[in-house]
Amino acid sequence: MSTRASTRLLALVPAAAALLMLTVLAVPLAALVLSTGPADLLAGLRHPLALSALRLSLLTTTCSLALTLGLGTPLAWWMARHSGPAQRVLSTLVQLPIVVPPAVSGLALLLAFGRRGLLGPLLDRAGWSLPFTTAAVVLAELFVSAPFYLQSAVTAFRRLDEDLLWVAGSLGAGPARRFLRIAAPLSRSGLVSGAALSWARALGEFGATLMFAGNLTGRTQTLPLAIYTALETDLRPAKALSLLLVAVALGVLLLLGRGSVLEAVRAER
Amino acid sequence: MLSVELEIVRGSFVLDVALSLPVGPTLLVGPNGSGKSTLLRGILGAVPVRRGKIVLGERTLLDTARGVSLPTEERRVAWVPQEYALFPHLTVLENVTFGTAGTESVRGRTLLEQLGLGSLRARRPGALSGGERQKVALARALAAEPEALLLDEPLAALDVRTREETRQLLAEVLRNLRIPAVIVTHDVGDIQSLGAPVVLLESGRARWEQNGAGMQGTPPDELARTLPVKLT
Repeated sequence: MSTRASTRLLALVPAAAALLMLTVLAVPLAALVLSTGPADLLAGLRHPLALSALRLSLLTTTCSLALTLGLGTPLAWWMARHSGPAQRVLSTLVQLPIVVPPAVSGLALLLAFGRRGLLGPLLDRAGWSLPFTTAAVVLAELFVSAPFYLQSAVTAFRRLDEDLLWVAGSLGAGPARRFLRIAAPLSRSGLVSGAALSWARALGEFGATLMFAGNLTGRTQTLPLAIYTALETDLRPAKALSLLLVAVALGVLLLLGRGSVLEAVRAER
Repeated sequence: MLSVELEIVRGSFVLDVALSLPVGPTLLVGPNGSGKSTLLRGILGAVPVRRGKIVLGERTLLDTARGVSLPTEERRVAWVPQEYALFPHLTVLENVTFGTAGTESVRGRTLLEQLGLGSLRARRPGALSGGERQKVALARALAAEPEALLLDEPLAALDVRTREETRQLLAEVLRNLRIPAVIVTHDVGDIQSLGAPVVLLESGRARWEQNGAGMQGTPPDELARTLPVKLT
């Protein structure tokens, strides 16, 4: 082979690599869409497995989102207002669930809240048994999804101009009013995108739920678990639910994109 | 009367002052980094204070010896920072009435009209000129009926022409004010037009004061030449 020919061939390598990468990413999703006709979709969504999973997923993710917002916002606010070793340790700790493998999360949850877990005796005395209940699903979703909201909220709160809060204080506004009238509206896009990301993660949660809550239809079988279960019997609900989750994920991405566009516009001004 | 004794430590910088500020404007001058803004933040309660006592009229805002420190929202001290810190998501009317009972506040609406902001009430700060922002910030501070007013370089962010206009307005507002007002400036023009008492801050200490009761310390030459009141 001449030198020139081999140079030309070498130049094609990056292009081929990029194309291959794109194929790996796009073909599975394309296959999902192409193999699911409208009839399949309708039949799949009407399947009893699908309906109960859909209902359960909506219920549990709504609960976990509400808990994330209610418990996470004060924590994010504290983390954004403080610096120092304690803050750094906390911020690493709360991000850990993002990178920890789901199976590890499931085991950790069992070891914490299981009957023989760290808090098991305490829960037992209160008459609560968490594992394999709908509450366990919510807890698993909260554990894996809250960090996404926290990260986004801390960043948004840090970006606030502190002088705005002091001015509000000098005009007589106490902490609650300062937060509700100034901090929250000005951090809105960060809070909303964090909440969306966190909700999407909760909706897709599989591994930790399976280990900690099991796979009980109507009680702990969320959409991803229903897809897994349906694979063994009828592929149609699996495909239909998968398409549904892809559509939801796409919606969240678009929402996030809109958020960042808004932020860019605001920064321009 | 606003009496301020403050010791504030930030890294290697120490602010250590004791001042009695009368009703009406007092100018706080001094080079960059002399602690002027820190002093205002100390009065506001926005920085940790090592030791100090602040009494505003009959009220004690801070007394570290007795463990008293009112939170900012209870001090009734209005603050206008250098860049004004207008609430970007609120309209002019909502900004001005933030410290009042609500957007129906008569005082807020009257101030808007007095400062010529009536036609801008529905705008947001992003759509205002520098001079207009300054007026909104001033109106917002006054609408809250504070018992003391802190202005940090009120004219610094303005271009020369707007500055002259705003300075006259500011002088008029301050003349009619029946509360202590501290105005940080290093603009000689401000000093001349206001004819107010002056405190010179240098490296965190009040090096020189000139007021109705006379002087303390030696006036620096460069300042003495510009003062409206003849030094004796």
